[in-house]
Amino acid sequence: MSEDEFVYRREFSAPRELVWRCLTEPAELACFWGPRGMSTPVEGIIVELHPGGRFETLMLGEHGSHRMVARFTEVVAPERLAWVESASGLHTTSTLDDLGDGRTVVVIHQRHVPEAMRAPEARAGFLTSLDKLEQHLAQLRQGDRS
Amino acid sequence: MPTTIEDQRLDALFTALSDRTRRDIVARLSAGEATVTELAEPYAMSMQAVSQHLRVLERSGLISRERHKQTRPCRLDPAALEAAVSWIEQSRRTWSARMDRLETHLAHRQERES
Repeated sequence: MSEDEFVYRREFSAPRELVWRCLTEPAELACFWGPRGMSTPVEGIIVELHPGGRFETLMLGEHGSHRMVARFTEVVAPERLAWVESASGLHTTSTLDDLGDGRTVVVIHQRHVPEAMRAPEARAGFLTSLDKLEQHLAQLRQGDRS
Repeated sequence: MPTTIEDQRLDALFTALSDRTRRDIVARLSAGEATVTELAEPYAMSMQAVSQHLRVLERSGLISRERHKQTRPCRLDPAALEAAVSWIEQSRRTWSARMDRLETHLAHRQERES
């Protein structure tokens, strides 16, 4: 895994179809999208569930709002969903794996564009940031296992 | 999560990094400062086009330019890049909490259906 990739895995005691609906229907997304301390009202969520379709969420909090604007790049119900955020180029893929016993594994995979961050001639500030990021990701991965 | 002003700053930052030539310039400057002429050298484009890229990078805060020298050399501001990296980090942390809430939500959904 290169340092600008991120993988997060979680197992749910719920059938895959239900997990898929939660990840793709505005009324469901409004219940959990978050983040903490912010609400995501259903009116502010746009889901055009097809490749090229819009995926937008407006998150409201005490200290301001944050709008995520993305386009779906892949929609394969009920197993694969991917989108890319317009502003940052952050690409997120969710894979839903049916364990066959009513449980579903969700894997979130994110990768990021800026190749500049990987350039071999990168120095100083660059590397410091990447080191910190790598350490943080290592901690996150440890957290996942515990 | 960033506020709206922070969002605008990050938009400018990521817009600046969304172009290959500008990423090249950033990578080049990470090795040390350079003048517009030096930066333009490897590209088959006009000085004017390179200057345009430099203006976008300057607006995003990724680079700054020396005001007092005739050649106005460009240099990278690593703090701006760190802002981009820390945003990515934060966005990733969000997923862990989001999955916690999804778990709770799924439990409620299934209780209601059964």
